[in-house]
Amino acid sequence: MNASGEVVLRIIGPPFSGSVQQTGAIPKSAVLLEIASDGSVFAYSGKVEYGQGIRNSFTRMIASTLEIEVADVHVILADTARVPYDRGTTGSASTRTVGAQLFRAANAAKNELAERKDSDGSGADTDVVEIEISGDEPSPEEFTRLTPHMGAVRIDGADRVTGKAVFAYDFALDGTAYGSLIRPPSIGAKLVRIDSARAAQVPGFIQLVQANGIIGVVGETKEAADRAVSFVRTRWDETGDDVSDWSLPSALKDLGSDPVSLRDDGDVSAGLSSGARLISGVYYAPYVANAQMEPSAATAEWGEDGSLTVWCANRGPFTERAYLAEHLGIDAEKIRVIIEEVGGSFGTKSQSVSFEAAVLARESGRAVKISYNRHEEFSTSTVRPAALMEIDAAVDQSGKLVAWDYTAFHAGDNAFRGRRGADSPYDAPVTRIRVADSPSPLPHGSYRSLGGAVNHFGREVHIETMARELGIDPLKFRLDNLSHPRYRRVLEEVALMSDWESRESSDGVGYGLAVGFDAGSYVAQVARVVVANGTIVVERVDVSFDCGQVFNPDGAINQIEGSVVMGMGTALWEEVEFDGGRVLNTGFGGYRVPRITDVPEIQVKLIEDPSNTPTGVGEPGIVPIAAAIANAVADATGKPVDRLPLQPQISAFSS
Amino acid sequence: MEISINNLTHNFEVNPERLLLDVLRQEAGLTGAKYGCGEGNCGACTVLVDGEATRSCITPVGSMVGRNVTTVEGLTAGGELSSVQQAFVDESAFQCGYCTPGFVISTTALLLKNSSPSTGDIKSALNGHICRCGAYVRIVKAVQKAAGNPDHGTSL
Repeated sequence: MNASGEVVLRIIGPPFSGSVQQTGAIPKSAVLLEIASDGSVFAYSGKVEYGQGIRNSFTRMIASTLEIEVADVHVILADTARVPYDRGTTGSASTRTVGAQLFRAANAAKNELAERKDSDGSGADTDVVEIEISGDEPSPEEFTRLTPHMGAVRIDGADRVTGKAVFAYDFALDGTAYGSLIRPPSIGAKLVRIDSARAAQVPGFIQLVQANGIIGVVGETKEAADRAVSFVRTRWDETGDDVSDWSLPSALKDLGSDPVSLRDDGDVSAGLSSGARLISGVYYAPYVANAQMEPSAATAEWGEDGSLTVWCANRGPFTERAYLAEHLGIDAEKIRVIIEEVGGSFGTKSQSVSFEAAVLARESGRAVKISYNRHEEFSTSTVRPAALMEIDAAVDQSGKLVAWDYTAFHAGDNAFRGRRGADSPYDAPVTRIRVADSPSPLPHGSYRSLGGAVNHFGREVHIETMARELGIDPLKFRLDNLSHPRYRRVLEEVALMSDWESRESSDGVGYGLAVGFDAGSYVAQVARVVVANGTIVVERVDVSFDCGQVFNPDGAINQIEGSVVMGMGTALWEEVEFDGGRVLNTGFGGYRVPRITDVPEIQVKLIEDPSNTPTGVGEPGIVPIAAAIANAVADATGKPVDRLPLQPQISAFSS
Repeated sequence: MEISINNLTHNFEVNPERLLLDVLRQEAGLTGAKYGCGEGNCGACTVLVDGEATRSCITPVGSMVGRNVTTVEGLTAGGELSSVQQAFVDESAFQCGYCTPGFVISTTALLLKNSSPSTGDIKSALNGHICRCGAYVRIVKAVQKAAGNPDHGTSL
């Protein structure tokens, strides 16, 4: 479907505008937009559509700019053979970087077409005209011109309600064989013996593969492969008994690295002892699962020339390709990665399933599809790292913060993971912010605002705990210590929305406030909860959200509502439990996520300030919500909260 | 065995213990019903069986002989979206869309029985479904909108 061969106009330039995410091997110039002789338009981006609606935004914006039908615009995403390099779809940055650049490309095409019309179209129309555009940071005016073009109702909606959309889990090639994996029963277990004699007699069995650290069966059908796996006998040497959540949270600190200082203003020990009150707290957020609805799936096919094609769901086709090249020991140029529709990600869906399919396909000489079951997904996919946060803060007689000392120990092999959201916006003249990493017993990976959602929980619960101990209203305490105008604005706005001043807490009814910053955007939330009969019910959440200029208010609100719901799960129920090297809760029965009856009334107010350029939308909504709910539960019960999830602390079984 | 799927009679030569979801997806080529959990816990695999919302991931295909199975593909009579499908599009009642076919099917089953459901009716009918993107607020609105339209997209 490329416009190759009949292209009359081609716009080239850097795939991003502005400086955001311009790291790595991003080409200075790549084909961004092509117009064919029949008027159809093709646009190219390495970004992935996984529910955030970028295909819709890009398509509508291009169609609107060129004044053509959306059906004539083909946005090609996330296929390494067809689109410019992209580092990955992260950081809530797609629209303001790639979207802005495609808008610039569409405008360049529009101007060129208008000029041609003026010169009566008698030019040599067999030549392709190429126009190069810059990758400069877009001006606020450019964003202002872009905004009205980003429509609401999703152009890819019909495919989603009719079953036409092809997810990686749905994708199939003719003649594909199927793989089923044999996994260690616990983390770190070593294979001692394996016997596949009986498995080989299962009808449809093709091959047992042991290569690249992967053990699996290839079969003619998924059923045959699964059945054969059940007849493979294995013996394992298990050493994972010490991989257990019994050791948490203390192991995070005991085994943690020396903290890395992100900020060190003033003399901390002098500052902490100079106040009228010193208030300390220790907070814990456990491992949580992304638990996206589509489990991991991939199909791999090798060509006779040693080339490899992979169809999968992942956040970045180029990072996937680089991983496969490195681990398979072949040139990246020989690998094509095509991202199908992605049934949710939130930061998971790493490279393992593509790699597994590629290895089974290479060894069996067949195209191979692998699709995980839910148990495999919960047992093996990466989880959000657990974290322990220690805070010491001092205030003077008037309730002004004089010192803030924050140290967070995030599980994982890289303290960078815990950096996001660790800094404090409060005005304390003495502020020290440190993060450390700690060995992670579970494979860990990204999550919606990785680090940010966890650090905000510790900080905003501590702030509210301090306010309560000092007898100061939590809104007033924050405003007294926050001079940043955009933080103040979202706080003041959410106070109005929630009628904060006239709220009436009582035994069992509580209100909690939290404020945050993520991906360039500011957000404040108020939660109202009822705690009765051993059950926490979140009744209402008000959200004020400042992401500068807004392209698509309905799409933004959809993302913010989703963030509130997802974060509510981490506040109330979610925790990956593990012992003996095994994840214990590997289904939706044991791992409780929010359902439709759990969902509160959610009010979202967007602060659409045209003087601020657009910032992220997909992630910031999750950063304050766990703290807002925890603060509301503390308000309702009169007992301070220091760890998540909350419901098991009230009663192990909610009604 | 003969099974009616979306008003077409299919003849499958499969083990009757195989799961309806697998047969739909792998033998009939209908991938609208999704695998989500394999335990009847998330609703992604839901289809209509004689008008009742049914978890196809825990239903043996042998029990479907003589029954009418409708998948999300079957709601689109003559290429037109059903009122439920249209309402989900209009209200943007999804993000990634993986769970959407299950929600659309259960909504269709609900409205066949109860043409003017309360919000409580809607939530209890859909509580067996998980939308991890958290589009629940919009899903309730979409069902309310569809309830105002009599065509639920199935002749059952």
